[in-house]
Amino acid sequence: MALRVQIDPTDPAPIWRQIEEQVRQLVGAGVVAPAAPLPSVRDLARALRVNPATVAKAYQRLCEQGVLEVRRGEGTFVAAHVPRQDEARRRELLAGAARRYVAAAAGVGASQEEAVTAVRAAWADGLAGERGEG
Amino acid sequence: MSGSQGEDGVGGWVAAFSGSTVRYRRRLAVDGVTLKVSRGQVYALLGRNGAGKSSLVRCLLGQQRLTAGRALLFGEDAWASRPRAMARVGVVPEESDLPPDLDADTLVAWCQRVYPRWDDARVRQRLRRTGVPPRTPVNRLSRGQRTQLALTLALGHGPELLILDDPTLGLDAVARREVWDTLIGELADRGTTVFLATHDLAGVAGVADRVGILVEGRLALDEEVDALRARLRRLVLPAGAPWQALAPMGILSCQEALGGVEVVVERFDDALLAAVGGGPLEVQALTLEETFVAVTTGQAGGGAP
Repeated sequence: MALRVQIDPTDPAPIWRQIEEQVRQLVGAGVVAPAAPLPSVRDLARALRVNPATVAKAYQRLCEQGVLEVRRGEGTFVAAHVPRQDEARRRELLAGAARRYVAAAAGVGASQEEAVTAVRAAWADGLAGERGEG
Repeated sequence: MSGSQGEDGVGGWVAAFSGSTVRYRRRLAVDGVTLKVSRGQVYALLGRNGAGKSSLVRCLLGQQRLTAGRALLFGEDAWASRPRAMARVGVVPEESDLPPDLDADTLVAWCQRVYPRWDDARVRQRLRRTGVPPRTPVNRLSRGQRTQLALTLALGHGPELLILDDPTLGLDAVARREVWDTLIGELADRGTTVFLATHDLAGVAGVADRVGILVEGRLALDEEVDALRARLRRLVLPAGAPWQALAPMGILSCQEALGGVEVVVERFDDALLAAVGGGPLEVQALTLEETFVAVTTGQAGGGAP
């Protein structure tokens, strides 16, 4: 069972936090449905090539936040009723990502128009990719 | 790096070095190393060739005596307690010490007789999964198969501590991945404490909790991986930005980068960065490999003051 989580070794956040944030976003965005099963700690650790304790810590924190739940003997699942992702938090994440992109675009000397066009193209590519995999 | 006294062998330390020194004739191979491995930890000892990693590993295994200082396993002197301690330890040495003319089947059967807690079913399943042929003599196995066999045998008796000396040395990408896979599986199942020396920085980066970096026999760095991530940063500032103002963060290097200035600092401070103003173009943590290069080329040791 694949889970689209990626570790960025240059991200200052600890790996467990990267996993926690990404799973929360996948669940919050509905990419992983309520009550859907998650990979076991062992499988996700192997896929990401990280210490299982790191994955376990991320899962445990998400359980405490009500995003995931553990069913004894069955595994870890997305909670049936996931707390809605806070709208303010969502906007903050989007604005932060935009600021980083603008800085990178400015760094290569792109105009505003060029930068926006590149976002549109990347967005179209991304959505095509999602359908292709489905 | 702490050289604190009085806690050797007590509490949660599974393995420890205290003021450990190894001298070969005139050459000082290990110079006053003090470090501790706590229960459940994965401790990665890094260093360039000849930095002293293997000497430390051999001393911990009781195969070699320290010139000065102490090496402790489960709170006891590693040299004196070797026969007792080895029942609780799994070892994969740098060079295979498996009898070259025996096959996996024979070795497993032999280990089963030696170790009361031998988990035969698990060992055989692991060997099947990693494709180690049961009837091929060790000297006709590939290097990857030989390492998998050694690792699987080392785990067979459910050791409390696994000691690995550069387990992925000389292996191709697939075989390296299988070694880390096996290790991650073991950590998931049993949470075994691991002390390993390695050059495979990309492989060990996500697995280690704590790293030590040896530079010419001295422990130049001994720190939790999360703490390293929190303090070492590469910042890219716009060209002309007052990067000198970052000096309190400890500037390790500074060079012109595409469209700006790239500064590597060893004690990142959010507030200080905000005070410099201008806004960085990029703020990144250092990868383990970059950290290793920074430490071994001379600047980034010692950790926070």
